[in-house]
Amino acid sequence: MIFSTLEHILTHISFSVVSIVIAIRLITLLVNEIVVLYDSSEKGMIVTFFCITGLLVTRWIFSGHLPLSDLYESIIFLSWGFSIFHIVPVFGFKKLKNYLSTIIAPSIIFTQGFATSGLLTEMHESAILVPALQSHWLMMHVSMMVLGYAALLCGSFQFIQQLDRWSYRIISLGFLFLTIGILSGAVWANEAWGSYWNWDPKETWAFITWTIFAIYLHTRKKKKWEGVNSSIVASIGFLIIWICYFGINLLGIGLHSYGSFTSN
Amino acid sequence: MLRRKTLQILSNLPLAIGEMFTVASLMALGTFIDQGEAPEFYFQKYPEDHPVFGFFTWRWVLALGFDHIWSFLHSAEAIRKQEFSESLPRASIQDVGTILMGAGYEVFLKGPSLYAFKGLAGRLAPVGVHIAMILIMAGGTLSATGSFRGSVTVPQGLNFVVGDVLAPNGFLSSPTEAFNTEIHVNRFYMDYYESGEVSQFHTDLSLLDMDGKEVMRKTISVNDPLRYGGITIYQTDWSISALQILKDNEGPYNLAMAPLQINGDKKLFGTFLPVGDINSPDVKGISMLARDLQSIVLYDKEGKFAGVRRPNSKLPINIDGSEIVIVDAIGSSGLDLKTDPGVPLVYAGFGALMITTCISYLSHSQIWALQDGTTVIVGGKSNRGKMEFPEEMNLLLEKVPEIVESTLSG
Repeated sequence: MIFSTLEHILTHISFSVVSIVIAIRLITLLVNEIVVLYDSSEKGMIVTFFCITGLLVTRWIFSGHLPLSDLYESIIFLSWGFSIFHIVPVFGFKKLKNYLSTIIAPSIIFTQGFATSGLLTEMHESAILVPALQSHWLMMHVSMMVLGYAALLCGSFQFIQQLDRWSYRIISLGFLFLTIGILSGAVWANEAWGSYWNWDPKETWAFITWTIFAIYLHTRKKKKWEGVNSSIVASIGFLIIWICYFGINLLGIGLHSYGSFTSN
Repeated sequence: MLRRKTLQILSNLPLAIGEMFTVASLMALGTFIDQGEAPEFYFQKYPEDHPVFGFFTWRWVLALGFDHIWSFLHSAEAIRKQEFSESLPRASIQDVGTILMGAGYEVFLKGPSLYAFKGLAGRLAPVGVHIAMILIMAGGTLSATGSFRGSVTVPQGLNFVVGDVLAPNGFLSSPTEAFNTEIHVNRFYMDYYESGEVSQFHTDLSLLDMDGKEVMRKTISVNDPLRYGGITIYQTDWSISALQILKDNEGPYNLAMAPLQINGDKKLFGTFLPVGDINSPDVKGISMLARDLQSIVLYDKEGKFAGVRRPNSKLPINIDGSEIVIVDAIGSSGLDLKTDPGVPLVYAGFGALMITTCISYLSHSQIWALQDGTTVIVGGKSNRGKMEFPEEMNLLLEKVPEIVESTLSG
């Protein structure tokens, strides 16, 4: 009982803090840089990070398994991934701070808000793990996939914003995570069901995402194609990830139905 | 339009992979065969009277150009065109080479030209990525053409022969000796959460060879399969086979349970014990339903709820004048069997892909330099660290000593 209240509080704190941060960002954009306000918005993002971390840990302790077993939990994890990819560069690349916050904060808001909205109220309660999900592979596969998606989304979004160098790095990292995620999923599937690839909709679309970003990485190699072409590919990649992550869940079929809206 | 573009890119991929493979081999070769030496060096090292590997002589080396795999850029314009380029007036290319060697570069000097690289792993890794993908595809092909698959639901206590269950999946599939193994389902049981949901289900299996000797014994569960002789047995499903009951202390009777259709993933099984005249057209009886092996729900002949009993509790229940004792609920294990010769290849490919993708992020830098009179023109590029590379280069080049007129003439 205590845990679920704690969870509730943490969710609402992080939601409110991010809203305040966005408001501050907007003010600083319209009115000239007020340094004090800017710093406090930075602190706000750090508070959010800790809140989401606390939220995940609470859920983990309460349910006894890593909080990655359904759509609600993976959305929280995605927000956490976004906030990490915000904090890390902030300490490394001071000059890019400005753009990153304005982008990532809204993204976190969107995902958090969506998660806490009425659409997913039934899923707030932690569910028990069905036998098929009782595996150490769960941790590696799902966390890699969600972190991969978080990184690739951040990267593609920044690319559209012309943050060339930085987005290339994040996308490269995201691509690595996605590779590991897909492969660990395949090995897990083989251990559990005897087949490492089933052309399940989610698997297929993850593979498509992987291919698109592989193409993106290759377009960066050719001097002539760098720039416009890779932006196009990155934007397509952005769309594809959302299809893969959400769109497939709307279908509610296949091996990955744990994450669908229709499964209860 | 995108599709055509994608097709264009994809259709070049096999060629690209082939090229990369060739490039990789040549680069590896270039590391073993000393580069940029005079022909006499090769006459000595790869002589005709003692050929290396029985055939490899200097004629091969020079004919195939293995002495200059590493390309030296011979013109100043080519060097200036690099991402990073600098001119060092009053410098010597030997000094540049020495500084680079000190910074960990492999340096090749040929007359006025210099070529240096650092981070070979970062250069070769992308090739490794493509080789890994070829491995995966080869393994996948082998899986598709040479596997066997099969499913079986076996009530506790029964057995089956592997070969009867497996069916070939491709034209290359051929059965092995292990297919004669007989599998006994010794025991099937389930674990439950406090809420009553199924947490895990297990099967205790014994494998017997053709002589009836037990060659293996293991309890499998979901995510924990059994492997024997290239065959893997997975726990994928479960069912309830029968209820064993005593009626008025007679029995035990085995009532077969049938699966009932309900919405969602949940299962429900039911059976029926007729009461009164069995031959009458609308025979009534006691219905028994089970969601799992934990508890049985009983209904009387009017369909009214009568009670719940746990198997093995030995607690009788009185329904419509009969005393029923649920002795046992016998489960069935749902097993999937598979042989897949491609798996080792595919797993090797997966491992290689993960490792080589990681390594390909290591930075790899190349530097070319040309001595043009008293000026050295330096150019270079790096695959990563687009911002750090020029900084690193500038730091290194600052260390190159400036040659003052008096020392040159002396």
